Amino acid sequence: MWLPLLGLLLGVSLGLLSDIQIPQVYNNYLTIAILAAFDTLFGGIRAYLQQVYDDRIFVSGFFFNILLAAALAFIGVHLGVDLYLAAVFAFGVRLFQNIAVIRRILLAKWTGRNKNSDTNT
Amino acid sequence: MSKKLKKTREKRGKQLVLSIVFLVLGFMLAFSYRTVGSKQQMLNLEQTNLFQQEEQYRADLIEQQERNKELTNELLEKQKKVHSFEQDFSDKEKNHAVLVEKARDLRLLLGDIPSKGAGIKVTLEDADYDPSIQNPNDYIVHESHVLRVINELKIAGAQGMTINGQRINSNSYIKCTGPVIMVDGRTFPAPFIIEAVGDPKVLLPALHLKGSVIDGLLRDNIVVTLEEMKEVQLPAIRDEV
Repeated sequence: MWLPLLGLLLGVSLGLLSDIQIPQVYNNYLTIAILAAFDTLFGGIRAYLQQVYDDRIFVSGFFFNILLAAALAFIGVHLGVDLYLAAVFAFGVRLFQNIAVIRRILLAKWTGRNKNSDTNT
Repeated sequence: MSKKLKKTREKRGKQLVLSIVFLVLGFMLAFSYRTVGSKQQMLNLEQTNLFQQEEQYRADLIEQQERNKELTNELLEKQKKVHSFEQDFSDKEKNHAVLVEKARDLRLLLGDIPSKGAGIKVTLEDADYDPSIQNPNDYIVHESHVLRVINELKIAGAQGMTINGQRINSNSYIKCTGPVIMVDGRTFPAPFIIEAVGDPKVLLPALHLKGSVIDGLLRDNIVVTLEEMKEVQLPAIRDEV
């Protein structure tokens, strides 16, 4: 259980301490990649709560979505079309949907537990 | 037992994969945060720098303008000074011209250098021998005659004179030595030619005044010739005695 948390901490510290500078033009890619990562993360959480969680889907989705988003942004920049907006839109909508589903599930669980505890007492 | 081990291993694998995912996520988050943050800071810094620079330039400009103003004032002052100098100079030049004129006149009087100018020529000659007059002194030119002519000319404003080519000034003396006269140590026989620089229109009437020089000379039987000269050459005074 502690290993992923450790990984997160390590990643944050690496990111903060690393001395790599990227040009401003690539900032868009980074942002969209982060968005994709968040989307996949919340998707995974939702899947876990809905008991349809699969490791392989989650991991492959995580990296693939990041790469796809970055690639989309790249192509968009080179075509002169703001394609990354599409990615932002898609991921944003999905992010909200995922979070909404998670909220409902958690709410339902909480109410169910409350009911249970009510009946218990 | 082996099933449990397998399950544990599986769980550990899952955890490893998850941790890698989280590592990547954390890295990306932190990196993005740092990059954007630093960019913002740099932008701010740049802006501040630019602002400061602008302020600096503005201050410099104001300073320069003030300096310009100062210099302009100074320039005006200097120009005024130059103008006054020029005025002074032109005044002095006028004065200078007057002084030069004066110096020329004075030099004429002194006779230190050769000079020339308009003037007159007076020739005094002994009268022809007249047997009825016993005393030859009555018909030869005396030094007093020459002196009278010279004095009259001086009074009339003659500026420089010669007697037979000998320049005379205020220190010159004329002495009688028998039939000849001595001017500044040199002897001259008759006829005596007196040349004078001065306004002929003044000098001639002065000599012709009634009862004056010419009348006196004629009474003394002296032949007087007057001549108006366009240009009279005066040599420098000779000091050898």
